[in-house]
Amino acid sequence: MPTSATSSPPSNTTRSPPHQLLRRLTTTAACSESKLKALRELKNQIIGNPTRKLAYLRLNAVSAVVSILQLCFHNNNDDDVSGHLRGFNYVSGHVRGVFGDVNVVGRGFGDVSGHVRGFVDDVNVVGRGLDDVNNVGGVFDDVRGHVRGFVDDVNDVLDDVKDVGRGFGDDVKDVGGGFGDDVKDVIVIQGAAVIGSFACGLDEGAKAVMEAGAFDLLLKLMPHPNFKVVDAVARALKLIYQSKFAPKFDFLQEKNMEYLILLLNNENENLTGLGASIITHSCQTNAEQKVLSDTGATERLLVLLRGSLAQRDASLESLASIFKDNREVTSKFVGPGNGRMLRDIVDLTKDKCPRTRLLACILLIVIRNADPLYLQEIQVKIKLIEVLFELVHDSGQVGDEAPFALSKLISDNEEVQKLAFDANGVDRLCDCFNKYLSLPRRLEGIFLALADLCSKLECCRSRFLALKGLDFVVEALGHDRAEVRAATCICLRNVTRSIKNLSAHEFMNETLIHLLLPLLCDKSYSVQVAAFGAINNIVVDCMPHKTVALRSGVVKILAGLSKSMDSTIRLNSVRALKNLMFLASCNCKQEILLELTLSTLTSLICDSEASVQEQALSLVRNLVDGSVDSIDYVLAEDCLLLNAVKRQLENRSKDEVLVQAVYVLGNVASGNELHKEAVMQLIFPQKDDKNESVICNLLKSNDSRLRTAVGWLLINLTLPDNPGTCDRVTTLRDVGIVSLLKNMMNDRCMDAKLRAKTAHYQVIEHGD
Amino acid sequence: MPVRVVDSCTPSQASGLNNGSTSPQACTLLSPGQTFSGTQNVSNLQKDEAWRVNVRIQGCDLDHGYLCGTMEALNVPMADTPVITFWEGEIVDTKNHTFYTGKWGATVDDDIKHWTKFPSFAPLMAQVEVDGGKTLDLSSYPFIFMRWKEQYFVNVGTDCGLTIAGFYYACFSCSDGSINGFYYDPNSSPFQKLELKSTNEGRLGYSFSSYELQ
Repeated sequence: MPTSATSSPPSNTTRSPPHQLLRRLTTTAACSESKLKALRELKNQIIGNPTRKLAYLRLNAVSAVVSILQLCFHNNNDDDVSGHLRGFNYVSGHVRGVFGDVNVVGRGFGDVSGHVRGFVDDVNVVGRGLDDVNNVGGVFDDVRGHVRGFVDDVNDVLDDVKDVGRGFGDDVKDVGGGFGDDVKDVIVIQGAAVIGSFACGLDEGAKAVMEAGAFDLLLKLMPHPNFKVVDAVARALKLIYQSKFAPKFDFLQEKNMEYLILLLNNENENLTGLGASIITHSCQTNAEQKVLSDTGATERLLVLLRGSLAQRDASLESLASIFKDNREVTSKFVGPGNGRMLRDIVDLTKDKCPRTRLLACILLIVIRNADPLYLQEIQVKIKLIEVLFELVHDSGQVGDEAPFALSKLISDNEEVQKLAFDANGVDRLCDCFNKYLSLPRRLEGIFLALADLCSKLECCRSRFLALKGLDFVVEALGHDRAEVRAATCICLRNVTRSIKNLSAHEFMNETLIHLLLPLLCDKSYSVQVAAFGAINNIVVDCMPHKTVALRSGVVKILAGLSKSMDSTIRLNSVRALKNLMFLASCNCKQEILLELTLSTLTSLICDSEASVQEQALSLVRNLVDGSVDSIDYVLAEDCLLLNAVKRQLENRSKDEVLVQAVYVLGNVASGNELHKEAVMQLIFPQKDDKNESVICNLLKSNDSRLRTAVGWLLINLTLPDNPGTCDRVTTLRDVGIVSLLKNMMNDRCMDAKLRAKTAHYQVIEHGD
Repeated sequence: MPVRVVDSCTPSQASGLNNGSTSPQACTLLSPGQTFSGTQNVSNLQKDEAWRVNVRIQGCDLDHGYLCGTMEALNVPMADTPVITFWEGEIVDTKNHTFYTGKWGATVDDDIKHWTKFPSFAPLMAQVEVDGGKTLDLSSYPFIFMRWKEQYFVNVGTDCGLTIAGFYYACFSCSDGSINGFYYDPNSSPFQKLELKSTNEGRLGYSFSSYELQ
């Protein structure tokens, strides 16, 4: 999570207008002192002020700052272009090495000396430079040997950089050459602070920093002889690493890991912070987590938990990346014998600093999610819930992130959801709506946390509705931010899982539906999918006429979207139409089919996606349920639908698809004689064909739902006292159905067993 | 199904919850959309009376031992139209719900008196007496025991002169889908029997529909 680059408050009293300040930064006539002042002012103006940051970003201020840093950097290396380039390439080699090249730290830190030498006039200064490097701290102590080992390389570079100050433009001389190292260093320090500040907490800023080449330039400055420069540069890099635009660090390169460990082992907060930020930003795969747990990085981070506030926070965040979804790595550090570590983290949830409390909670949630064996104590769970509920009201970014952490804590965990409910969770989150309507990120998190609370427990849904939560949903469905709209739809989707309230038509109101329908075509895909989730539930209505839904125009929209090129949209549309078809009246069914058409429905049954096929068949199953007359739909147009069902049965489709196909046949077979014969014709196209019928194969399926569905189909075909039953029984006996049903008498699925028993009884009765 | 209002009061007893036993398996005849019809005997000392009853299952969540639906009473003397109520059911799964009600004014004694009216409860009786049935494995038992509690009137107001204060002890047969029940309300006639059979709605066979919540 980004933080402010510095605590110095911006001064408003002497503030220059942005264009004027930028002119001071870019003018070639300005002296270094003037540029330094401009950098300082820029830094003070943008710190903690996103609006002003954006204003300067529009004026391309980042590039201007990067240019100044480049001039300082270049000037310190060479005034001869070819020599300069060689020196530059050395540093670049180091940078590439550390962040991806195989020849990393060893050569890289040899290059450090090359770089250090770039700031001085002759080789004697190299020694001084190296002393300075040594003074930077532990990070460079271990590489002194490397540096010394590469003195030859350094001397090669030095041959090219004899005449500092010559061959560069006026501004180079002015900024870098006209003043001593001290001034240049201060310029670099201020420039790095400005860059870090631009990258901090604002995507546009971080993007501009990356595009202007600031990241690479700062990496080149890392091995600087001046400790203060290294500190400032590390701080800026740390902030860049907190953005999503920073490149990923390759932990799998051994030398990179050595470099990272050097950073973490340093006593300096910004160097350890940089190391931790690199881990937080880049550690994603199990392999990376394992490397970090095997090479001492994790142990060091655990030690840093007892360090300064910044080190603690950075460590908590990095450890969460290392443990996330990795039971093996998590167990290694928090398993038996490491109870103290866990207690330390639990203690940090009581820390004075809200951010530390939040990060400690997040780490504990990550540990619990990696292995539910940890943190089973109910008191710890209650503590986490309480801390997070309190943090939602934090005025800063912690308050924005707290509901997301709460969401992760309670997601898919009914026990914790119940604890959160008992802690008045629904009331406390609903109370936040009015307070934080103007904070989109927090609003999004609150809706997601409420969505998780209402995902399984009816008591939470009831409380949400009692607190008029739907009013907030109605308000937020039209929010400017797509993330808020999506979160609102997800919350609505989970609340509308309440069959009790669906039955009471609590959600079937025109306002809600009219707000939701446009979201099915929202420009944001995640909003579309989330809106489908809510609509899908709301249209479940056990009343046959479904007046409100039909009047709303939802059928036309869903029918149109069922032809989408996107399979997820097709799937969701068909599923919603299936729900709408549930227990529908004849008129309602007709209206749906008029929009959808038989040919589209046939295409959907034969869709390329099995999930769409399954839903389309399930829709047909509902279509032929209810009034016997509705079965005629599948016989229309030369049995268009029935033939599509047949194709699915013959195609050896997935079990889920077959289950629905067999239920379609079962429902058709529950009709009159004509319907039963149509099904017989479908499953036994040639009466004399003694080959094993598709039905026999389905009875042998491993899927109990499929065996049960076939059982019902056979029951319907062999029902006593129907004129055609004898012939059908004969056909079924001929293909060996009796022995198959007999085998199912001990089916492990009771439902399948009981249907087989009934079907067997009916077949035997007729045979006898 | 609503019954006539009479006054009285009985203390309730808390039920014990556990996570030990295996729940009943899903049964297609007890799935959303399925309908049942039959009668409820509401006879009292004055006269014999039975109301025709239709039931439709609207929701079923075995994980939470939850079932719900509507109940329609067709020939209620004091109502102009059939009276429809929405009910919620607790499935006795020994995980979410035990044989002991612990609420709605039912004592353990009331529970036992009612459950023992179902012949299919007899094999379970001994274990229920030992530990309330907490250790019973109901996963392959062909009967599902439930309590149905009416929650609200769907098509009439609460001032219709009828009450839904009581609840049903119910037993569902997985084999044929028949449901037997006994209405319990300390203020109403005791042991009003509910008898329902799975219906086909004019079809020559069984039909099944479905919906899917996201």
